Amino acid sequence: MLNQKKGWRWLVLVIGVVAAGVVASAVVAARHDDGIPADLEAALHDDPLVQVAGIPAENGLERRGVFVQRTSAGFTCVWDAPSATSLAKQGGCNRTGDPFAGRELFVSLAYDGGPAVAGIKDARLIGLAAPKVEDVQVLMSDGTRRVVRLRKAFIAGDEYRAFGYRFKRADLRKDVTPKAVIALDTKGEEIDRQATGFAG
Amino acid sequence: MKRLTLVLLLALVFCTSAWGATTTYAGYQYWPAGQGASTSFSPSWFRNTFYKTATFDTTITFIDNVSYSWHATVRSSGTYVETYWLSSQTKKAHCRANTTGQSWAACTAYS
Repeated sequence: MLNQKKGWRWLVLVIGVVAAGVVASAVVAARHDDGIPADLEAALHDDPLVQVAGIPAENGLERRGVFVQRTSAGFTCVWDAPSATSLAKQGGCNRTGDPFAGRELFVSLAYDGGPAVAGIKDARLIGLAAPKVEDVQVLMSDGTRRVVRLRKAFIAGDEYRAFGYRFKRADLRKDVTPKAVIALDTKGEEIDRQATGFAG
Repeated sequence: MKRLTLVLLLALVFCTSAWGATTTYAGYQYWPAGQGASTSFSPSWFRNTFYKTATFDTTITFIDNVSYSWHATVRSSGTYVETYWLSSQTKKAHCRANTTGQSWAACTAYS
């Protein structure tokens, strides 16, 4: 009798654990039913970020870094984040075989506030450029240009130019906004131009 | 009874650890310029992504339900674009195509 009672208890235990596992698996499966390939999702989580440029603290706004993440899923990502381990990152990726997607620049624009320019508290430009890019400039809405400092970066043996730039509050207050990012070669000739579509 | 309680506790731990949710709130083969999509408002959204099979200019952001300001906005033509806004404010994840994208692409939010 005692053994039969023990047997029932063990049966309840086993059924309970199996049921819990089934429920947990279903929930986990639902989490991964998304638009991102599983290998990219895992690589974004696990693969290390390497700092290639910085954005200094300014007017109460925190210092941020520009990080490259060469993923095992075949993507090269560029992030704007407070640190390599911070969850508060913003940016994007392209295929490692074509990191500039046929262009000379891969840029991301990040901003807080808006969408009207008057409401924007912080706006930053980050990116990578091909090695033949000598200068990167930002064409502003008033026709002036801002020169962006480039830093050489070597990622897994490949050479890049990396940059990070925080737009001046004085510019934004005057409604002077970035219109395009321009890449120049060693002769000063324009080899790429990408519209920012800022606040658009 | 103790064992049953233990089993129920184990189930609760399993389920709690797996409770975060993923919502693909827009996924189309063709994105005309200006096409946008949003999740519902919730305080739990913290990550917003745009995955594409070809590059085109897109924006992802979070919009709060008080001032309807944009937060942690990222604009990029990258194949994959991602942003995080670690705030307890009630918000919705939003994405939009700034140029026409003639490839499959999806916006996914995480809570």
